[in-house]
Amino acid sequence: MLRQILALTWKDLKIFFKDPGAVAAIFLQPFMFILIMSYALRGLFTPEEGQIRLLAVNQDRGAQATVILRQLDEMDAFEVETSWEGQPLTREMAEQLIIEEKRNLALVFPPDFSQVLEQDPAAEERRTTRILVIVDPTTSSQFIDPILGTLQGLIERRTYTALIPKGLDYLFEELAPQTPVEEREAIKAQAQESMSGGLLGGEGEGPLIAVERIAPAGMRVERYPDTFQQNVPGYTIYGIFWIVSLLASSVLREKREGTFRRLLVAPMSRAVMLAGKLVPYYIINLIQLAIMLGASSLLFGMSLGHSPVGLVAVSLAAAATATGLGVLVAALARTEAQIGGLTVLVLLTLSALGGCFVPRFVMPEWLRTVGLVTPHAWALDAYQDLLVRGYGLQEVLPKVGVLAVFAGVFFGVGVWRFRFE
Amino acid sequence: MLHSMIEIHDVVKKYGDRVAVNQVSFCVQKGEIFGLLGPNGAGKTTTISILAALLLPDEGAVIIGGYDLMRETSQIKPLIGFVPQELALYPTLSAWDNLAFFGRIYGLRGTALKERIAAVLDLVGLRDRAKDAVRTFSGGMKRRLNIAAGLIHRPRILLLDEPTVGVDPQSRHFIFEHVEQLRSEGMTILYTTHYMEEAERLCDRVAIMDEGRILALDTTKALIGLLGGGVIYVRLAAETIETLLPAIRALPHVQAISAQDGRIKIETKDTHPALQELIELCISRDVSILSLEVLEPNLESVFLHLTGKRLRD
Ligand SMILES: Nc1ncnc2c1ncn2[C@@H]1O[C@H](COP(=O)(O)OP(=O)(O)OP(=O)(O)O)[C@@H](O)[C@H]1O
Ligand SMILES: [Mg+2]
Repeated sequence: MLRQILALTWKDLKIFFKDPGAVAAIFLQPFMFILIMSYALRGLFTPEEGQIRLLAVNQDRGAQATVILRQLDEMDAFEVETSWEGQPLTREMAEQLIIEEKRNLALVFPPDFSQVLEQDPAAEERRTTRILVIVDPTTSSQFIDPILGTLQGLIERRTYTALIPKGLDYLFEELAPQTPVEEREAIKAQAQESMSGGLLGGEGEGPLIAVERIAPAGMRVERYPDTFQQNVPGYTIYGIFWIVSLLASSVLREKREGTFRRLLVAPMSRAVMLAGKLVPYYIINLIQLAIMLGASSLLFGMSLGHSPVGLVAVSLAAAATATGLGVLVAALARTEAQIGGLTVLVLLTLSALGGCFVPRFVMPEWLRTVGLVTPHAWALDAYQDLLVRGYGLQEVLPKVGVLAVFAGVFFGVGVWRFRFE
Repeated sequence: MLHSMIEIHDVVKKYGDRVAVNQVSFCVQKGEIFGLLGPNGAGKTTTISILAALLLPDEGAVIIGGYDLMRETSQIKPLIGFVPQELALYPTLSAWDNLAFFGRIYGLRGTALKERIAAVLDLVGLRDRAKDAVRTFSGGMKRRLNIAAGLIHRPRILLLDEPTVGVDPQSRHFIFEHVEQLRSEGMTILYTTHYMEEAERLCDRVAIMDEGRILALDTTKALIGLLGGGVIYVRLAAETIETLLPAIRALPHVQAISAQDGRIKIETKDTHPALQELIELCISRDVSILSLEVLEPNLESVFLHLTGKRLRD
């Protein structure tokens, strides 16, 4: 039975990938939309020019954090603020400033920062610590990533300058000073190894100083996505629902060309036949989601949020909804024309209502309410919770549940009305 | 020992009010080619669909390979190879991929599957086109592949629904040879067609079907014998018919005559002398012949005799 489902799946995947039109509709079309719409609307979201102002909370008991902050401040791109209105900054103050949208980002250096950097390499226990980066979760990674990169570079430099002399001292103390040449080479190699291990840590070890990105405590996010954060999930969801037209016409073709009849004559249950239709298109949906999200993150630097599990859960549910609707339409559509015209019309309407093209927050209240009948709205909201608002699995689970209900109803009614002839 | 592979008893199938198959009964023996001959809408496809367990009959019983079709479908399905009337193939996949897919559905895999695909491709002469997409095949090649797909799992019973529609004489000849070869290997074959030449040439026994009923069932020879000879249709100049009819009836080789709308139907045991006598009579009476048609004894004329209709227009 499983073999039959595999054979059916393999067959439909083969047919799909041999059809350039279908491949283009599924993979290329949403991408083109994203590219064109994002660049067309880019002006609406121009990032501020000029210096980026960073808040810095320095709790370090030593001098290393001060050095890094001075180096950051000396760079043209950044201005570091360690006090606010005459008061030295505390973490609470910094969080408040971010919540009030006065600043975007704050760095918190821990009290043991210098201690960790200057620790004795011979010590039994390896000490680590972390720098907190408090950001407004709606800030795009296009803004944050260069800052974090710079910061990491500076810390790394500090690590080398603080650690490596100590490391070499230690090594020469351990070994005799009159070391033959080849042994000295070995020592150098060892020193290099500890150098490259600096911030990243050796194999199986964490870095000495971790940079951790968090949101201010208790921040309620009502911020809106930027063009990519709106367009990528929007057109991705629009794109995955194209599977409906693909699945339905594939079923219709099998009925018309009589291949379904041949399968009905074979020793195979109807449930297997149905599963064999469902699985390949579900897989295509998942490939589609992986490609869209992956490519958007690579090409446009779009953040994928902090919850891979949440992303997988939302993607599985969204794809199930799209494939489920495909089964429903396959069960109801009688002609190719119904799939070509009517279905596409329905899909476009649902996408528009669901906010795939124009964000729902710009729509009037009543239209927003109407939009809630579309699975698109729920899927889009769930994706933006993860990508824009930085939420995790817990927060999107209710939306995943709603999507699962949509999928269940579509699939249930579809199976009930399905005709194999 | 005679062993029936297919038995169908008093099967009735209705579509709404229309009775598509009406009280049909027949048996097909192992290793026999059994023909279902009938015009469009006779009920051939409906009958074959019932045998393939695609349709449930409204009444009657069907036994295949000793199993009851209604209760033991799962035992019957692996026995049956089905070649539908339409080309049931995936046009964008290659011939090989099509056969591999249907083979896997029947549980074949690995080298067994590969060998089987190669064997059926050889059988239908498509080995060299194995890797080409079916869409690029000619109509006749697609028909042959359609048959191959029904054979992939070595069925013991082959149901062929008009496998030669739209096929040129050469390909048709090719298909006949395959079918005969399959019979020689012991396969039981049910073959539907509306070409009487095909039924005559290929089938051991033929059931003549029309409007859902079987009108006659026997060997081709016996069916032609049913007619006992040929039929001559003739039209003569109108005013002379009445006086001529008794004279025609009296001709030595004429068995029976009837007239309708000026057309006279003459039944005869032996068409050639009867024709001679008819023409001589017309010349001697100075009657002009408007049209003349001779139907040699064949399944076509048997069908005409049974139904008053032609198989083909
Ligand atoms: N699905 C259906 N719904 C309603 N009527 C049908 C259906 N299928 C067949 N029929 C009717 O049943 C009768 C027999 O049809 P069937 O297809 O069995 O004929 P056939 O002998 O195979 O004809 P052909 O030579 O044209 O293939 C016809 O009158 C047809 O209109
Ligand atoms: Mg038919």
